[in-house]
Amino acid sequence: MSDKKVINMGDRRRKQGKGRLLKHKGYPQLKRRPVRKAAAPIAPTGPIQLDDFQVEAIEAVLAGRNVLVAAPTGTGKTMIAEKLAEKVMGEGMGLIYTSPLKALSNQKFSDFKEMFGDKRVGLVTGDITINGDAPLTVMTTEIFRNKCFEDLEDLHNIAYVVFDEIHYLDDPHRGTAWEESILFAPPHINILGLSATVPNVKEVATWIAEVRNTDVLVVEERERAVPLEINWVSPDNYILNESQAKRRVKKLIEKRKEEIQQLRTRGRKKYYR
Amino acid sequence: MVRALQDPSEVIDLIQDKLPALFFVFGRAKCEELAIELSRQWDFLYADEKEKVQQIIASAEADHPDMFVHRDRAILKKLLLQGIGYHHAGLSPALKRIVERLYESRLIWVLFCTETFAAGVNFPAASAVFESCRKWDGREFRSLLNREFFQMAGRAGRRGFDEQGYVYIQISEDHPEETGFFKESGVEMVHGRLTVSANTVLSLLMWKTDEEIEHFLKSNFSAFQKRRRLKDVTDKIMKINNTIREMSAYYCEERDSTSCPLLHKKLKREMHRLKSRKYRQRPGSQTRIKEIQRLLKSLAKKKCQQDRCFEATAVIREMNSKLDMLQLKKKQLGIEARQYTVDFQKMRRLLERLGYIKGRELLPRGKFALHLHIQEIFVTELVFSGLIDEMPADVVAGVLAGVDYVPGRREYVQVPPYDFDAVNQLRAELMEMGVPQEYMVWSPVPGYLAHAWYNGKDFDHLLENSSLQEGDLVSIIRRTIDLLRQLEKAAEGNLSLQEKIRGIRRTLDRDQVAVLF
Repeated sequence: MSDKKVINMGDRRRKQGKGRLLKHKGYPQLKRRPVRKAAAPIAPTGPIQLDDFQVEAIEAVLAGRNVLVAAPTGTGKTMIAEKLAEKVMGEGMGLIYTSPLKALSNQKFSDFKEMFGDKRVGLVTGDITINGDAPLTVMTTEIFRNKCFEDLEDLHNIAYVVFDEIHYLDDPHRGTAWEESILFAPPHINILGLSATVPNVKEVATWIAEVRNTDVLVVEERERAVPLEINWVSPDNYILNESQAKRRVKKLIEKRKEEIQQLRTRGRKKYYR
Repeated sequence: MVRALQDPSEVIDLIQDKLPALFFVFGRAKCEELAIELSRQWDFLYADEKEKVQQIIASAEADHPDMFVHRDRAILKKLLLQGIGYHHAGLSPALKRIVERLYESRLIWVLFCTETFAAGVNFPAASAVFESCRKWDGREFRSLLNREFFQMAGRAGRRGFDEQGYVYIQISEDHPEETGFFKESGVEMVHGRLTVSANTVLSLLMWKTDEEIEHFLKSNFSAFQKRRRLKDVTDKIMKINNTIREMSAYYCEERDSTSCPLLHKKLKREMHRLKSRKYRQRPGSQTRIKEIQRLLKSLAKKKCQQDRCFEATAVIREMNSKLDMLQLKKKQLGIEARQYTVDFQKMRRLLERLGYIKGRELLPRGKFALHLHIQEIFVTELVFSGLIDEMPADVVAGVLAGVDYVPGRREYVQVPPYDFDAVNQLRAELMEMGVPQEYMVWSPVPGYLAHAWYNGKDFDHLLENSSLQEGDLVSIIRRTIDLLRQLEKAAEGNLSLQEKIRGIRRTLDRDQVAVLF
């Protein structure tokens, strides 16, 4: 057994003296309230200090290199794209930000508008075009792919393309647009790829380097900004660690097999009676 | 068997000091049910916070007065006032936005959500709970991949605020075998998934040189990976051949010659066998015995490095069987690496047969399909068969809504009030011409919705006449608008068609389905 606390729900309630059941206006029944301070805590909005990998990636893109950043969710990959956008737009050039999902494009469009102002940001998806000539345009990967084939002149002022969530390359439906973009994006456009950590990022980078005949720097961050602790919750509401959970699951599977067996035999008897 | 829902109230009790929590649920209905279940017992907001929620809701309702009216969304409003929410693709964009806004304002303490909530957008939480680890991926139920799990679990832990992100996986009593155990070190590799569509072939022929096409077919990520593996296999084969050569050095000079002591032994063994009762009477046995005896006499007896020779033989035998497997693999990989060239030629032949191209030249159909990115062949045929011209605008909207649409299980939509036999007729004809099914995916199911929407029916009417949710309806109409835009571009030069298409698009793009920022 590990030193992880295994707390029974009943115990816990006693220990924390909770279950403060409060009555509310309009809600006749009593409801449970969580143990917490009066006000919701405000989390800091952004990292105050940049991580090493962010610094490395930012320096590289500012120096005009092709970069592939792989880091776990929530470590601040977007920050790198933002710094790049500032620089590119400051030089009077354009930047395209592609995302694999339309919902994401809309979200990023809103985010960037807040950052750079309404006039400098555009959005192009299959069904919407807003401010399509803006220096920073957010688009789906499909739209960018189409431009690489049909509207090359639209791209002459673009210095960088950012591929967000580049590991979506593995998606059976969306991967194609992404690959065609990398193969056919005009050579003057540099690439910044943002990816979750996958074991073969280096292979992806080698491939991009090979097909585009250029250098690609890989910046990898394996550490999470906030480490994860994974636990399991049993059917009777105990918190279990991995080995406990595995034992528990094994027992439950055996029990389940027995139950099914019993049901079968009982069913048969009934049938013969 | 219907799976019993585990009451989330007790889990939330366990982790009440680790809120806000994202509660990942695979299934929209389950998402909603669990949220309602939790709200029976829990209330997370104080009076002043409820007031804030009320305000935010009121200001959103000013823009979308009926956002909480459809279906059971009135319940969602009640939930939000208790600090509980749900978020999935069935919600209207306006509802999704308000849930996201409340979450960002830290007014939602437990959010029941589907996978989409974890895709890219920045919504960290103190903890993430997994109702189960099994999802429907459009084809089958399967366990989450490590990559998918960590994409979601990674939402736990707010940077600069929490020291740790807490993740909880529920063990189900009924299906304990579905419990997930994930390892970050087990995250899956990324593979190339390129497919050669009609548009790919047309675009390549239109815009790219033969050289570039070659580059595309041979250098895409999948082919690149295959080539790398092919190189690995070739290297291995070379190594094995080297080993075999090295090991052969251990054979002594006499090996395979008549003076080899091993041969001596072998012959003795054979003779012994022939002398046994079983073989003695067989024809030829006696002659062979005599022969062996003669040979044995003539063989020079010699000392030998038997052990090393034996060992080498064993190793070489093993190496040879490995070699066979690797050769097979090499052949296979060689075929796979050429797959894209084969696919390209196949599609090219089909397009040639259907009159889209002639050699490298794009014919009118091909030039048209060049602007389409979804079911290119089928949509082009809809136009060139004259159907789009002949059909009234509202029917065109209905028919186009069904392009590339695969209805879900148990999905119900009112039958369209128009005749769509002609469309099915066209598909049958195409099939006879050898167009594979997957290039003409179409369903009449969403037709009623786009048809009614074109004719000015309101959103409630669509909801009443189908089992679909707000978000689905919006997405069906927006997909249709997307396709109409493609058609409009393709129809350049055909003014009347372009006019008609643009008219339909503008009529559809209104009210609840219009995108607002």
